[in-house]
Amino acid sequence: MVRAGRGWGSGVGGWGLGVRPGSGPILLQGHERSITQIKYNREGDLLFTVAKDPIVNVWYSVNGERLGTYNGHTGAVWCVDADWDTRHVLTGSADNSCRLWDCETGKQLALVKTSSAVRTCGFDFGGNIIMFSTDKQMGYQCFVSFFDLRDPSQIENNEPYMKIPCSDSKITSAVWGPLGEFIIAGHENGELNQFSAKSGEQLSNIKEHTKQINDIQTSRDMTMFITASKDNTAKLFDCTSLEHLKTFRTERPVNSAALSPIFDHVVLGGGQEAMDVTTTSTRIGKFEARFFHLAFEEEFGRVKGHFGPINSVAFHPDGKSYSSGGEDGYVRIHYFDPQYFEFEFEA
Amino acid sequence: MQDTEESPAAAASGAVQGPGGDTEHTEGPPPPLAEQQQQQEEEEKEGEGREEEGGESEAPPGPPEPPPPAAEEPSAEPEQQPPPQPPSGRESPEKAEAEPEAEPAVGAEPEAEPAVEAESEPPAEGKTEAEPGPAQENGEAAPGVPAEPEDEISFSDPEDFVDDISDEELLGDVLKDQPQEADGIDSVIVVDNVPQVGPDRLEKLKNVIHKIFSKFGKIINEFYPEADGKTKGYIFLEYMSPSHAVDAVKNADSYKLDKQHTFRVNLFTDFDKYMTISDEWEIPEKQPFKDLRWTETYVRWSPKGTYLATFHQRGIALWGGEKFKQIQRFSHQGVQLIDFSPCERYLVTFSPLMDTQDDPQAIIIWDILTGQKKRGFHCENSAHWPIFKWSHDGKFFARMTSDTLSIYETPSMGLLDKKSLKINGIRDFSWSPGGNIIAFWVPEDKDIPARVTLMQLPSRQEIRVRNLFNVVDCKLHWQKNGDYLCVKVDRTPKGTQGVVTNFEIFRMREKQVPVDVVEMKESIIAFAWEPNGSKFAVLHGETPRISVSFYHVKNNGKIELIKTFDKQQANTIFWSPQGQFVVLAGLRSMNGALAFVDTSDCTMMNIAEHYTASDVEWDPTGRYIVTSVSWWSHKVDNAYWLWTFQGRLLQKNNKDRFCQLLWRPRPATLLSEDQIKQIKKDLKKYSKIFEQKDRLSQSKASKELVERRRTMMEEFRKYRKMAQKLYMEQRNERLELRGGVDTDELDSNVDDWEEETVEFFINEEIITLAEPE
Repeated sequence: MVRAGRGWGSGVGGWGLGVRPGSGPILLQGHERSITQIKYNREGDLLFTVAKDPIVNVWYSVNGERLGTYNGHTGAVWCVDADWDTRHVLTGSADNSCRLWDCETGKQLALVKTSSAVRTCGFDFGGNIIMFSTDKQMGYQCFVSFFDLRDPSQIENNEPYMKIPCSDSKITSAVWGPLGEFIIAGHENGELNQFSAKSGEQLSNIKEHTKQINDIQTSRDMTMFITASKDNTAKLFDCTSLEHLKTFRTERPVNSAALSPIFDHVVLGGGQEAMDVTTTSTRIGKFEARFFHLAFEEEFGRVKGHFGPINSVAFHPDGKSYSSGGEDGYVRIHYFDPQYFEFEFEA
Repeated sequence: MQDTEESPAAAASGAVQGPGGDTEHTEGPPPPLAEQQQQQEEEEKEGEGREEEGGESEAPPGPPEPPPPAAEEPSAEPEQQPPPQPPSGRESPEKAEAEPEAEPAVGAEPEAEPAVEAESEPPAEGKTEAEPGPAQENGEAAPGVPAEPEDEISFSDPEDFVDDISDEELLGDVLKDQPQEADGIDSVIVVDNVPQVGPDRLEKLKNVIHKIFSKFGKIINEFYPEADGKTKGYIFLEYMSPSHAVDAVKNADSYKLDKQHTFRVNLFTDFDKYMTISDEWEIPEKQPFKDLRWTETYVRWSPKGTYLATFHQRGIALWGGEKFKQIQRFSHQGVQLIDFSPCERYLVTFSPLMDTQDDPQAIIIWDILTGQKKRGFHCENSAHWPIFKWSHDGKFFARMTSDTLSIYETPSMGLLDKKSLKINGIRDFSWSPGGNIIAFWVPEDKDIPARVTLMQLPSRQEIRVRNLFNVVDCKLHWQKNGDYLCVKVDRTPKGTQGVVTNFEIFRMREKQVPVDVVEMKESIIAFAWEPNGSKFAVLHGETPRISVSFYHVKNNGKIELIKTFDKQQANTIFWSPQGQFVVLAGLRSMNGALAFVDTSDCTMMNIAEHYTASDVEWDPTGRYIVTSVSWWSHKVDNAYWLWTFQGRLLQKNNKDRFCQLLWRPRPATLLSEDQIKQIKKDLKKYSKIFEQKDRLSQSKASKELVERRRTMMEEFRKYRKMAQKLYMEQRNERLELRGGVDTDELDSNVDDWEEETVEFFINEEIITLAEPE
């Protein structure tokens, strides 16, 4: 089974060193506001975290030491992504900008001004094309913009090679599909769309969720993806066909969901919305990270720890640990107990 | 509805033929025909149509002449109705405005084509929505041209002008408000079989019609087609709103005016609807099963579980029988509360809407079997529901008003002995559940002490009166069988401060009804008798120091305290319907704490919690209990949990917006006392069989689960195989995209790795923590 976090005191803060594994979660305290997204790089040695403050942090995942920050944003940062070889980092912010950073030096390489907040961003498979979506806000429509980094003039002149308008319902989460052929976008009304990265054409559309899609994450091989929705469910889909495969039900809005790279497991993070939390005690907020079996749709474990809803979860690429970022502003890195690896369903 | 346009359109297009004609151009003098034609030729084809229609739009105001009827005889068949015209003058100006909208469509047709036909083509409307603008512009500009001397500036468009601004852009905000042809047409009804009268009696007819039809809403227009000086036997009426028209059709259709005339009332729009129905019958598609709404507010079981009552705006429906069908309906507009008589023969319903001075309808008593209304009552005072309390056998029911107690008898529903009892100051009363005895109490009045009275009915004999002093309040608690009555008396004895509570226990089954008193020092939160038993439970104290005490009324009348549990988190007592077991619950503000107690030896069997629980319901056998969080009290975590009587949680059922759970009551057992005794004696024999059955079904359930998982896994594996096959096929593309680096596995590009040594500064800090429990 999964170890339950021991709350305060156990583990060592982000500034010290934690001994792994088996001494409780590592607490990363690098943000002053609630976490918006956390993401490992492909190898998993680094963990990027962004929050509703302007700081972008990068940490060593092995011990929770902070490697550095990317400074420049002036508002809440909604999203972060790193390319496959961890050369570049991309961030999108409510300060109406999307920024490209040199991962190693922390230098800001490019700044794309937008007319509204940048909600989601990502590198394609090859790391050459970036995509980001902007909010429907202040009279501006929701757009997905595509820039090819190999053509510097695109960013210099702020001229994306393609810009897809989404007038109906804004995009709340988006990821690249396999091989960078299309993106998969989740919308505020629960719809999912595939947009071609070449033509901008809407390739397919489904609506399996009834409420906003908060998060989309692909499996390691990018053949499947999982959505987390405000409608209290997470769902598994095939990337190419958008076929709905599985549903994971909870009693709370799901903010984030991640697929294990080594097991048929999925972790969900969520909880009562921030605005409702004040009226309910933390006891019934149900802020645990919850583990489900991918094929059986059955829950088999919970990890407590955050003092508020979990906003983002991510599996380490080696599947031996996972991290969660919460409304409480903390990021927690959890290493699994040996029992976790032994656990099996009776089937 | 397109039919309405027929005659005006025809008339108008006729009017335009003559240059200038009788149409009134508000914009200026009509252009000479030649000029106009020249311009028309230069314009697009639509222009031509537009101009013509422009004339049409200026059709003389006021109701045009009625259309020539298709057939002379006024027919009742809707299909043969002559195309009626708009029944109102009011519509004309509206129409004039609406007309340009349709005109390009007309224009698009060859001129020879009668306008009528073009208009009846449905697509015309949608297609031309945005067009009226150019027409208007044209209408304004064109007249200007001929009148202008050459040296003046011409505002007219150049010959090759193409209007590329759509109306949407120019006046998008106003456009959506522009009147539509169909406006108001929904409010029109057609009445057939109206007497045919001459002008002399027309006024009288109109009066009669008005009287009948203005019941459903204000009639804003009426039209009586005439022929040969007589009305034609059908009329058109227009209401303020379509809902009135629907009402009129619903209620006035088949209205018998006299022997010869029975009205047939139809919606005007229906004519069109039914005209276009194809003769071919298509097999309707099978509709998916729709969720049937049982009730609009809540449900209630009848006392023995025979009926389920559902609440609706129009009244109450009762369901039951083998197939659980609707078996009775009681029409009571706006019904809010109901009560069954204990014998399930009568139903009492309450609605705040229907009452009138001379026709009491606030409370209605119904006969359940016949569905008949037995009697209506006013509801003067806002007393607690049920206002009428039933005797245990349903023979009597009583209500209390200030200083009177009115007892009625069934089935006559009349006052017992034709008069109410005068009881000055009566505060509360209650029927014994075990006999026709009423207990009531009256407070102190000057020198007369407060008293509790037990009265036998129908004899009205007072079998016991107990005087009490310094009484603040009394509450009457009957034991379920009527063996005991507990009167909870709150007193302020002289010389003491604060309120003292006494329980006055009346032993009903003994001669003279002896009374014993239990004095309580603390304030009382709840009291409850054990059903079928002689114990009672009391919650007392102040939060957070609440205790529960169990008392036993012995045969000799002594009342013994069996046990007190301190530090309870409870505000409500729920006895098992069979007695012995009790659940103490801290509902709502007490977070749903639950304590399961066996009172035979007073052990606390289990302590549990259903957070924010709002309701507790024992099943009628006393084996199970359900706790629930109702949506009515709490908006999240709505669920019902099933427990055994010992407090073992069996099931959690989460249901969004869950409201109410009620066990179906069971009728009294058919087994005799002896049979029950025998069964209890042989319990061991049965339990073996049942245990075996339980084991079987449990293993079956787990087998099913494993089986289900297996098939799920198989399916999932099949999918994964497919996905992985595709993944392998794309391997080369992946390599290409990442410059030949293999990233399929975490360490597949291990050869490219550079070793990098990172030094971490270790900062160890030892914090001693209090050992967590």
